[in-house]
Amino acid sequence: MSTSDEKLEQSAKRLFDESVDGLDAATLSRLNRGRQAALEASGGGRSRWLLWAPATGVAAAAVVAAVMLQVPNTNVIDAAPADLDIILAEESIEMLEELEFYAWLDTVDLDANDIG
Amino acid sequence: MTAGAAVFAVSCVTNRTEARALQRERQLNQFLAEVERRALRIAEIGVRDRDEALDLVQDAMIKLARNYAGKDPAEWTPLFYRILQNGVRDWHRRQAVRNRVMVWFGKTRNDDNDYDVVQAAPDPAGRTPDENLQNDEAMQGLEDAVRELPTRQREAFMLRTFEGLDVAGTAVAMGCSEGSVKTHYSRAVHSLRESLGEHWQ
Repeated sequence: MSTSDEKLEQSAKRLFDESVDGLDAATLSRLNRGRQAALEASGGGRSRWLLWAPATGVAAAAVVAAVMLQVPNTNVIDAAPADLDIILAEESIEMLEELEFYAWLDTVDLDANDIG
Repeated sequence: MTAGAAVFAVSCVTNRTEARALQRERQLNQFLAEVERRALRIAEIGVRDRDEALDLVQDAMIKLARNYAGKDPAEWTPLFYRILQNGVRDWHRRQAVRNRVMVWFGKTRNDDNDYDVVQAAPDPAGRTPDENLQNDEAMQGLEDAVRELPTRQREAFMLRTFEGLDVAGTAVAMGCSEGSVKTHYSRAVHSLRESLGEHWQ
């Protein structure tokens, strides 16, 4: 590239930069408004996505909780000791063998209460 | 693991995503603020109308923000100017159609009457009126000469000289090869040197 070409480029660049620096306030204001509109267009999509973020979080937590509740509880430590006593007690088995007697006895007691 | 922990984890991910989005928005704002004034003048030289140029620049900014905000910021400049150049070309196509319709109805649009050079001229501080006048005339002469260039040569010259894009960035902005950029640019400089002649030697 020749010296005259470089001189032309430099002069053109200088004049162009001066014309850019000389833009009036009204034009700069319109540029600023245009830029804000562009950012709004970009940020609008982000905001719309973020509007769903809390709902998404709650839904995810609900799914996790539901899955945890569906898992069978295998913790035998929490089993009630009274239940074990009933199952293991010898007299309880006898009670089951005489279940008809106790059912009759219960009926009799009710009749007695009715009479009394 | 509880439901509360799950909500906390989701909240953390959301906050990180929002922080990244805000940072990207700040980067985009800074980029557009740096490029918007030169882009306006380049578009204005292309269409000879400041209002139309402002609309074109705003459209380009919105399209960049909507479609390419997620790209590497280093790619924004050529992408932005590609969008803007496409907008300028579309504007000329619409004008050509409009002018044909106007001719059909017996009317013509004289752009020279709509473009007030004095009103659009820069008014920088610190220079005498004579200096301003000389600069205005020189810039007007340059703009006229640039407008006379073929479209591709004009684009190559403005992107390389006015915006300062390198050959690779100009090729992306123009949608052509780097070799084509060099050819268009060389021919543009040669034509301008001939047309501007004595004022620039």
